[in-house]
Amino acid sequence: MAPRDRSDLLQGTLDMLVLKVVAVEPLHGYAIAQRIGQISRALLHVPQGSLYPALHRLENKGWLAATWQQTDAGRDTKVYRLTAKGRRQLDDEVAEWGRVSQGIQLILSTTE
Amino acid sequence: MRWLTRLFRREQLERDLDRELRSHVEEETDRLIAEGVNRPEARRRALAAFGGFEPMKEHARDARGTRWLEDLTRDAAYALRLLRRSPAFALAAVGSLAIGIGANAAVFSVADALLLRALPVDHPEELYFINKAGIPSIRQAYSGPAYERFKAAVPDAGIAARGSLSRIQITNNGVNELALAELVSGNFFDVLGVPAAAGRVLSPADTTALGGAPVVTLSHAYWTRRYAASPTAIGSVIQVNGQPVTIVGIAASTFTGITVGSRVDMWLPMTMQQELRMRGNASMDDSDDSKPWLPQEGIQWLSLIARIPAHVDRNRVVTTIVETHRQAVARRAEEIQNAERRNVRLRERADIVPASRGTSGLRDSFASPLWVLLGTTAIVLLIGCANLASLLLARGSARAREFALRLSLGARRGRIVRQLLTESVVLAVLGGLAGMAVARWGSQALLRWASTSAIAIPLEVPLDWRFVGFVGGVSLLTGVIFGAMPALRLSRRELTDAMKAGGRVRGAEERRALPFGKLLIAAQVMLALTLLVGAMLFMRTFQNLLAVDPGYAREQLITARFDPRLAAFKEAELPALYERLLAAAASVPGAKSTTLSMNGPATNSIRSSGIQVQGRPQGTDDESREDYVALGYLQTMGIQLLRGRDFRPQDDARAPKVAIVNEAMARKFFGDADPIGKRIGYGEPFDVEIVGLMRDARFDGLRDRAQPLIVKLLAQAPDEYAANLYVRTSGDPAVARAALAQTLASAEPRMAIREVVSVEEMTERTVANERLVSRLTGAFGLLAVAVACLGLYGTVAYSVVRRTSEIGVRVALGATRGEILWMVVRETLVPVVAGIIAGVGLAMLVSRFVASLLYDLSPNDPSTLATSALVLMAMALLASLAPAIQAARLDPVRALRD
Repeated sequence: MAPRDRSDLLQGTLDMLVLKVVAVEPLHGYAIAQRIGQISRALLHVPQGSLYPALHRLENKGWLAATWQQTDAGRDTKVYRLTAKGRRQLDDEVAEWGRVSQGIQLILSTTE
Repeated sequence: MRWLTRLFRREQLERDLDRELRSHVEEETDRLIAEGVNRPEARRRALAAFGGFEPMKEHARDARGTRWLEDLTRDAAYALRLLRRSPAFALAAVGSLAIGIGANAAVFSVADALLLRALPVDHPEELYFINKAGIPSIRQAYSGPAYERFKAAVPDAGIAARGSLSRIQITNNGVNELALAELVSGNFFDVLGVPAAAGRVLSPADTTALGGAPVVTLSHAYWTRRYAASPTAIGSVIQVNGQPVTIVGIAASTFTGITVGSRVDMWLPMTMQQELRMRGNASMDDSDDSKPWLPQEGIQWLSLIARIPAHVDRNRVVTTIVETHRQAVARRAEEIQNAERRNVRLRERADIVPASRGTSGLRDSFASPLWVLLGTTAIVLLIGCANLASLLLARGSARAREFALRLSLGARRGRIVRQLLTESVVLAVLGGLAGMAVARWGSQALLRWASTSAIAIPLEVPLDWRFVGFVGGVSLLTGVIFGAMPALRLSRRELTDAMKAGGRVRGAEERRALPFGKLLIAAQVMLALTLLVGAMLFMRTFQNLLAVDPGYAREQLITARFDPRLAAFKEAELPALYERLLAAAASVPGAKSTTLSMNGPATNSIRSSGIQVQGRPQGTDDESREDYVALGYLQTMGIQLLRGRDFRPQDDARAPKVAIVNEAMARKFFGDADPIGKRIGYGEPFDVEIVGLMRDARFDGLRDRAQPLIVKLLAQAPDEYAANLYVRTSGDPAVARAALAQTLASAEPRMAIREVVSVEEMTERTVANERLVSRLTGAFGLLAVAVACLGLYGTVAYSVVRRTSEIGVRVALGATRGEILWMVVRETLVPVVAGIIAGVGLAMLVSRFVASLLYDLSPNDPSTLATSALVLMAMALLASLAPAIQAARLDPVRALRD
């Protein structure tokens, strides 16, 4: 089991993080989870149970597109990449996140 | 479209999902191995970290967003598999639904086409009829000059005119046939916005000069029927009533005229009325009908239809038209001497009514029978639904263990309800699909049965989205109605008892199951009784009508119908023609007597004139029917002469004119005085003497009282004509009919014969609506009773089977067969009696609405109600008796052992 001290992802932010990670380069599901862990310096942990439903949901909405590719190890994997629609969605979500976190920051700094 | 591919590539999707999740675990395993963990351990840890595969898959499936659809297709596929396993049930259910839904859709599609649909023209909502207040749109209300006045008064509204639909004789390459045509103004097609399918439609240039433009536009249907839609027909010349006209084009295929439910074969310029010898319906005063009608103010023969475009002020147009007509009426009224008559004339008003749905005489007469039939078929479908509900409940009980198992394994109740509903909707949709075929056949049959002529009512019943939508909607609704109750009941938690009890003992469930089953029985009986009462009311109405003595003897009387004017016979040729016709009729085997008449009984054609009596002041209503006949009229028709004398051979063209009148005429004009010897005319001179008084005869139809009628001799009226030939035979009417048709075809090649038919059939056509309603409600009433009894039988039989062991115990403990019999019958007696009481109430409530369709019968006729209730009671007892006897004969030893 994952150590308890790693933060669980805030509700709704997983989609944004997945889109962001995939925006850099097409990745398969396992790699996406790994990448989020690495970049956040292991602060964020992607719960396995949410990752695949999230990927399928994003694919269903047309924000991600998937193709089957062979890895170096000769294994078939499903690789996700960002669509144009997904790019716009990511931009929106990042902007929204900026506003929200700014607001939260302001509240936290003034009430202290 | 992606969700669609998903449905069909479900297996592929499942495989991909599995592969994807597996590859994730393998990646993790590889990483752990790279960190130095051995393979089995690495794999174990990877799997543990990942969690369960199946819950993950479930979540991923939900995320696809089309989960409900996937479930639906799977449920539907499962339902189809279940049905395949019990083909007898499937066939019975789908078959009964097909009849129920099909009957509803058939009546709906005819009602839709006749009552609801807009004309297939450009912007139908802009069209208005210009009528006269109090006179239906179907009538011909205006003269040619009145039409011109309206056109001049409102130049920004398009106004078209048309004469009545008239029979014409077409001669083409020496072959005669009858067709139906309308005389129209040249702008008729422009105003309606109907384009040509080929060639051109009539144009305003075709009606600029009186007697001009010998051209014709054919209907698409006639072109297809007569010319196989060949383009070479355009430009060819045909004879219409002996007058050559050129076919210039074909109207758009969707356009069948403004009169819904009647067929128009061609449209001719109204300026050709005189040349074409077309004398359709008209009302005349102060006029000469042997001269062209169009310029005469006194001949009202046109119905007018106006297009008021959206951008034009409708109120201004309406006001202008009404005012224009008011002024014209006032001018003409000045010439009327009689003050009372002048006031009647001055009350005449133009009236503008929406014309988007066209006009239809059929609509008025056929609407209430259609509503009755729609109600009937809806009730039949409801009874069928109740039946299917109890059937599904019975079948569902057999699956109780399956549902109990699934519920206890965590299935949500909603999921099971959804599955059961899907199963019933699948049944209903299958029934609906089959019902479409039934409906297509049924609507055509309806139009055939409702017809007052030898051919079906020409009504276009299109197979379009409205029809498909109706069938789809009714099917879904049906499926939900009969599926909902069983689904809700079968998915109840308490059913887990079914598992524990192993399906053998049924305690709590039994008590709940029966009230619902009993409710269904009561509802079925109630609805079936309502239908039965309705059917019997209509049946007795029809019998009452057939038993009416019309005043003429309709049996063994054959008639041939024709129109010598259309065959372009000259006045001088008519006496010879009549002699030939009468000779042909007399040569028919078994002919006893023969005659001719202009109108005759049940032909739906009348002549009505204003009559004056010598020495009697004019009244406001001096109208009487007139007919012109040959010798032997009273004898051939079987009409009784009450006083005076019959026509004689001496009453010829040179002799003084004589007439025979009926009782209604004598009452209206002479009161109690003796009409014999009185002189009548259309004013001066009073040149006709009444020599005979005959019994009233219902010439308008069995329902309608006799109107005043004056019968005169054709021999004394050279400018009138005969259109019906009659033969009274002593032999088989069918043989006489065939013989007459054959003789006439060879004797009179110049004249097309409309039909040769028995007067009995003609008479029955006047009650075609009543015949249709009584036959169909009768059939549906029987069907409803049969279905309800079948349902009752099924329910009782099923309950006997389920209570086998209980009955065994009772018998073993000493219950007699009579007691068992009574026990089973008593169970159904309560709901049946309740249903009958409710049904009598419902029937009394509903029958008020059909009172106007009944004849000589109260809608709450006690004997009808009592008979229906007794019949249904007996049928219901019979239906429950069979399984009850079976229960009584049960061998207790075997019942308990099994």
